[in-house]
Amino acid sequence: MLRPRWYKVIHDLFGNKTRTLLIVLSMAVGLFAIGIILSARSILEEGLARSFAAIHPSSGTVRTIEPFDEDFLQSVRSMPEVQEADARRNISARVEVAPGEWKNISLFVIANYDDIRVNKVASQSGAWPPPEREILIERAAFSVIDAQVGNIVRIKMPNDTQREMRIVGATYDPAQLPAPFDGNPYGYISFDTLDWLGEPYGFNELYVIATHPEDKVWAQHVVNLVKDKAEKSGYTIPLIMTAEPGQLPMDDVLQAILLLMGSLGVLSLFLSVFLVVNTVSALLAQQKRQIAVMKAIGGGSPQILGMYMVMVIAYGILALFIAIPLGAVGARALSQLLATMFNFNLPTMEIPPQTILIQMVIGLVLPVLASLFPFLSSLRISAAEAMSAHTMGKGRFGKNWIDQLLSGSNLWFIQKVPIRSILLSVRNTFRSKGRLALTLITLTLASATFISVFNVRASLSSTVDDMMKLYKFDVWLTFDQSYRSDKIQHEALNVPGVTQTDVWLQLPTRRVRPDGSESGMMYMFAPHVGDSGLISSPAISEGRWLTPEDDNAVVVPSGLFNNEPDLGLGKEVVLKIYGKERSFKIVGAYLGSTFASIIYANYDYLTKVANRVGEADALLVTTQVHDVAAVEAESEALEKYFEHIGLRLSSVTTLPNERAEAEVAFDAIVALLLVMAILLALVGGLGLMGTMSINVLERTREIGVLRAIGAPNRGVAQVFILEGITIGLLSGLMGALLAIPMSQGLNQVVGGRMMGAPLTYTYSMPGLWLWLMVVLFLSALASFIPARNASRMTVREVLAYE
Amino acid sequence: MIERNFHSNTGTSQPLIDLRNVVKTYSSLAGSVTALRGVDLQVLPGEFLIVAGKSGSGKTTLVNMVTGLDRSTSGEIWVDGAPLHRFSTEKAAKLRGKTMGVVFQSFELLPTLTVLQNVMLPMDFARLYSLREQRQRAIHLLEEVDIAEHARKYPTALSGGQQQRLAIARAMANDPAILVADEPTGSLDSATATAVIDLFADLVRRGRTILLVTHDKDVAKRGTRIITLADGEIIGSERRESVNA
Repeated sequence: MLRPRWYKVIHDLFGNKTRTLLIVLSMAVGLFAIGIILSARSILEEGLARSFAAIHPSSGTVRTIEPFDEDFLQSVRSMPEVQEADARRNISARVEVAPGEWKNISLFVIANYDDIRVNKVASQSGAWPPPEREILIERAAFSVIDAQVGNIVRIKMPNDTQREMRIVGATYDPAQLPAPFDGNPYGYISFDTLDWLGEPYGFNELYVIATHPEDKVWAQHVVNLVKDKAEKSGYTIPLIMTAEPGQLPMDDVLQAILLLMGSLGVLSLFLSVFLVVNTVSALLAQQKRQIAVMKAIGGGSPQILGMYMVMVIAYGILALFIAIPLGAVGARALSQLLATMFNFNLPTMEIPPQTILIQMVIGLVLPVLASLFPFLSSLRISAAEAMSAHTMGKGRFGKNWIDQLLSGSNLWFIQKVPIRSILLSVRNTFRSKGRLALTLITLTLASATFISVFNVRASLSSTVDDMMKLYKFDVWLTFDQSYRSDKIQHEALNVPGVTQTDVWLQLPTRRVRPDGSESGMMYMFAPHVGDSGLISSPAISEGRWLTPEDDNAVVVPSGLFNNEPDLGLGKEVVLKIYGKERSFKIVGAYLGSTFASIIYANYDYLTKVANRVGEADALLVTTQVHDVAAVEAESEALEKYFEHIGLRLSSVTTLPNERAEAEVAFDAIVALLLVMAILLALVGGLGLMGTMSINVLERTREIGVLRAIGAPNRGVAQVFILEGITIGLLSGLMGALLAIPMSQGLNQVVGGRMMGAPLTYTYSMPGLWLWLMVVLFLSALASFIPARNASRMTVREVLAYE
Repeated sequence: MIERNFHSNTGTSQPLIDLRNVVKTYSSLAGSVTALRGVDLQVLPGEFLIVAGKSGSGKTTLVNMVTGLDRSTSGEIWVDGAPLHRFSTEKAAKLRGKTMGVVFQSFELLPTLTVLQNVMLPMDFARLYSLREQRQRAIHLLEEVDIAEHARKYPTALSGGQQQRLAIARAMANDPAILVADEPTGSLDSATATAVIDLFADLVRRGRTILLVTHDKDVAKRGTRIITLADGEIIGSERRESVNA
């Protein structure tokens, strides 16, 4: 047999099922949010590290113009600084995605698919290795070429050979940038197929793992040694790429996502903490009279406190029973979504014990701590006061300036509103200020986080706008070699619909560091600057844009300073241009990521130092009509025209395409943000409903009094609904203000990780309106349901309610 | 009934309750109000003391002072030889649990405990009895107040009179020397009120000391002494020889 006090605890828990359900759900949603965010973050981090380690990632890649054979590969493998090396042929071909519509495709040719030693490629489905005259496609690339296994695709080689091949399987190659991010798909063929396509045997890409791959400086040094060796062996090296140790190609974006998840995790932690504290305080406020009665019949504070501790722990356990499994399911789904987006496998879906521990601490320890404060404050008033205060209402309204502000003539505008209860609702809202503050903090946090998520989304879109605003052209064509600038512009103007042309010089470059090591490959674009050109200043984060008078000035992406921390505004940077080292001064940084980073220099200066005055290898065109379909049609017409006159193009890009690709990089973040927004709306919304409903339950006796003095049910509901709406609106508006610094912080986190500069700040008004509507609806509903239930009871029952 | 051997009404013992110049002032928005103005009162063992007076005279404040449910502004309160005025709320609760039983006008029963559990709860807090003894005592007390057949019901299932009987049984749970009742018949009809007062009179006859607050003249006649409060002061005291049946 239990002691009577424990019977009280049990009856309080299960006797009032609505209250228990509300408290448990309010606590559970907060704990669920923590679980989903922390677990997903951990699963992704673990998955990322393990997937990457499993492919034996290269420290760097050295590309040659002339093909090399196994002998050279063996000589690299025998270098003492090289742990492992492997080679592939990488050919830029074209694939027909729709009749007459061609896209770039990288074709990889591997000698032995069952013995890939570096940047391992695995079979995802279908045939393995690729049979002769057939092709495998990287699993993330199917959406880009709009095809599936079993389809036949037409491939056009650089030598103009065209062949049809059947897609017989899918590969998994996480070392490559996922195809949707840059629109460049990957195909895998055998050397026999390559021969059939009319290309000679040989490799042109060398993947190297240094002896200490985790040491970035050493790894770069080793890649440079391999490059030197290749050059000494007579090979021309157009580019080398060094990888960040332990990082997948989209690591910047992924890390930004993980950081964002971390930040939102901390925010939802705060939210959860306040939700729990709020719920427990509401419960104790409701039990104030019973606590006083127990004190009156000899109950000691430790005894009574013990009862309530057990009660809140029981609520916590019930909430954890819901939150832990649901959080795990949600975390796995979210992790899978992001892993698919970034094209890596999750070797484990295990929920980290730390997450469960954190959830348990918040679900069990925190409620106990949270109950201490209201409990101890209830001890400060005498039992006599506690018992009388309940029947008379809180008994303290009217004492301070807020109450004075809400009195009489100050609210004249409300008195003119034909709802008499509005004054009562507004004053009721401020009656218990401690509780109101706690409720408002919780709901304001939820509101601010939700609105901030929308703000980050809007800021991402504005950032893309800023990134694209320098391009005033519609189509951008690159040639496989330099041509005379006036010739290609003149030819382009022959194509109907072309209104204006411009050119730039476009070349791969590498930074040569003071210690002689070289950075990964970057592109240098040298446009005409000034009013006449089709390039204007991008969004500058530091310094300035180029002027026609500039000589050796460059403008770099802001993200470059993340990767090359010794660089900065006003500093000199040594770049390798056509094999020669040249010094440039950084005069500005534009808002841009290091992913596909571009350094801008002045056309006149660069053509002069490169001995290519009057030449260009990229043509920029504006068209008469700028809509997507017209621009696409114009680009096809231009491609055909230049082929017809014998000028070979290596790529054709339209601005709408370019923008779509820039947005794809942010799509993963936007998708994550949307998931988070839904999650937070759930947490905030249910939290709001729980808090409001508990508030109304707490005042069931007051409903009885209102009805006893003749208030109709509708009038009673009106008082509580208006009170709920007042709290909802207040928290929504305060959240809208708090969202300003909060979203600036998140913009800093996301932008800083991806681009070394905050995103372009934009406040999302649709996000604000959406949330205000959600808040108004939920607060009205949350107040209405318990008020309606109370109005269904008889006055006697309501007055006897405890 | 299982109970201690209390003093009979001799009038020569040390007072069980001793109030010396007790003042209680409340502060509110309207200013401060003095509810008790230097009250001196001694209650001897076995007395059935009636505190009478109009509404607002300070009767309930006096009960709160005697029971330690509230603190006095000044003065001394001695209960069973203990200086209650110096006690923390915690120590006061313990003293109440063992020495005093309190009965309220609105019963103040715990709605989520059964009738039996309501009576057992003070014993649970006081830790004076084993669980088995608690149960036996509770059943016995419920028999004494004639509601034993309702032991497994919740208080809301009882009538007002039955609820007040339950409140009295709960007040008797730890066999306290003193019972303090604040308008115990205030929420009852006259027949039920008479039955409840009979119960108190019976307890006095068995040697219990009772301080009962009422504004009902008929109830007041049942005490061995009646003091009258007005504006926080004792304005009259009338001693009667024995408890009327």
